[in-house]
Amino acid sequence: MEILSPVWPEHGGGRSASARPRALAGATIALVDDNLDIPFTTHLEALLGREHGAAVRRLVKPSGTAPSPDALIDEAAATASAAVVGIGL
Amino acid sequence: MNLISERLDVDDYDEAVELFYQRHWTDGLPVVLPTRRRVEAMIAGTGRDPQESLGPVPPKGGPATVEKLAINAVMGGCLPAHFPVVLAALEALLDPAHNLNGVTQTTHMCVPLVIVNGPIARELGFNSRDGVFGNGYRANAAVGRAVRLALWNLGGAVPWDTDKATLSHPGEYAFCIAEEEEDNPWAPLHVDRGRPPGSDAVTVFACEGPHSVFCYGTPEEMLHVLTDSMCGLGNNNMHVMGQMLVVLNPLNAEEFAKRGWSKTDVRRYLWEHARRPIAEVRACGVVHEQFRKMERDAGRYPLRYDLDNPTTRVPVSAEPDDIHIVVAGGRSYFAAVLPGWGGFGGFAVTRPIRRA
Repeated sequence: MEILSPVWPEHGGGRSASARPRALAGATIALVDDNLDIPFTTHLEALLGREHGAAVRRLVKPSGTAPSPDALIDEAAATASAAVVGIGL
Repeated sequence: MNLISERLDVDDYDEAVELFYQRHWTDGLPVVLPTRRRVEAMIAGTGRDPQESLGPVPPKGGPATVEKLAINAVMGGCLPAHFPVVLAALEALLDPAHNLNGVTQTTHMCVPLVIVNGPIARELGFNSRDGVFGNGYRANAAVGRAVRLALWNLGGAVPWDTDKATLSHPGEYAFCIAEEEEDNPWAPLHVDRGRPPGSDAVTVFACEGPHSVFCYGTPEEMLHVLTDSMCGLGNNNMHVMGQMLVVLNPLNAEEFAKRGWSKTDVRRYLWEHARRPIAEVRACGVVHEQFRKMERDAGRYPLRYDLDNPTTRVPVSAEPDDIHIVVAGGRSYFAAVLPGWGGFGGFAVTRPIRRA
């Protein structure tokens, strides 16, 4: 019996992630503020800087319920060595 | 017919069903096997190119080609006659206004409800009467499940993956109703939304499961209980507005109409009276407040309400037209309220059903 697959084949050729920074100290971290928990995001921003010595670049996303605008993703990729892309509630 | 999907050879039905489980291609229930013959029959009736794509299905972005949708429609139990309804539902779901990406990935329990209108609903045996949200009717079940399987297999709406609903609801198996248009004194939903009378259409709206409303009596008595049921502090609407669905049964609608209430009158009354003082809303906590700020900053929460005045009464939606009213169910004491996701998305989108 022949049946047809309901899915598409997995893409093997996606973009690979950049190498992880070896340490947070001295690294620039993009922190996407997705407006879902601003106090928590602010707390995380302080911890990354104060406790771990990272330079935090906070990028505000208009809505936590829709994808980040391309410009925000490009800015994070161009200016930071790692990114926190959102906070789920 | 030009079909490009991977072909799998299996020895028998049991092996095939287990294969679908092993590959996580099914929602937890067995499927009708998508043989080439069944899939071709599904597509043939539409007159559409199997490789025509309705667009990428978020969040994973698998193209919703007619072929892939037909395969999932077969799996869900659809007949070829049901397939145009599935296609229309996917067209509606993929409209950016619906924000399917967010609907699938939110932690909220909303699930897109498919509402079928027009003569096709009666012709294909969709249930719009007693037990409308329940089981027992192939058209509701198969179309509802076909839509969910398409979101599962093409969009990745899988609970251990990108579907982040923390509770969800049983509509994730199938969530499809028809509106009762014969025993209904008013114009149906799709006509409210701009489609011609007598045409066939599908409306999708992401919402919670139905909340029962013990709704019987005079218009004033029915409105009293409906407004109270709509503005519970647990629903997202009360905090960030958005849209809401109210399902009145045919007896409710008849009683309103006999006393001179149009659907617009009912909708307006509900919008004006399903409100809570902002002090009660604020008492729910700071997280709710943040969501409200986000929605105000994004321009989705109207600025006309003085939120610094604790007695300000805030509605469940920005405008009366964000309250959708559908007539369905048995002539009885019971109506239903289905809150939406709030202002974040899941908004109603209506598309015509294109018969072959």
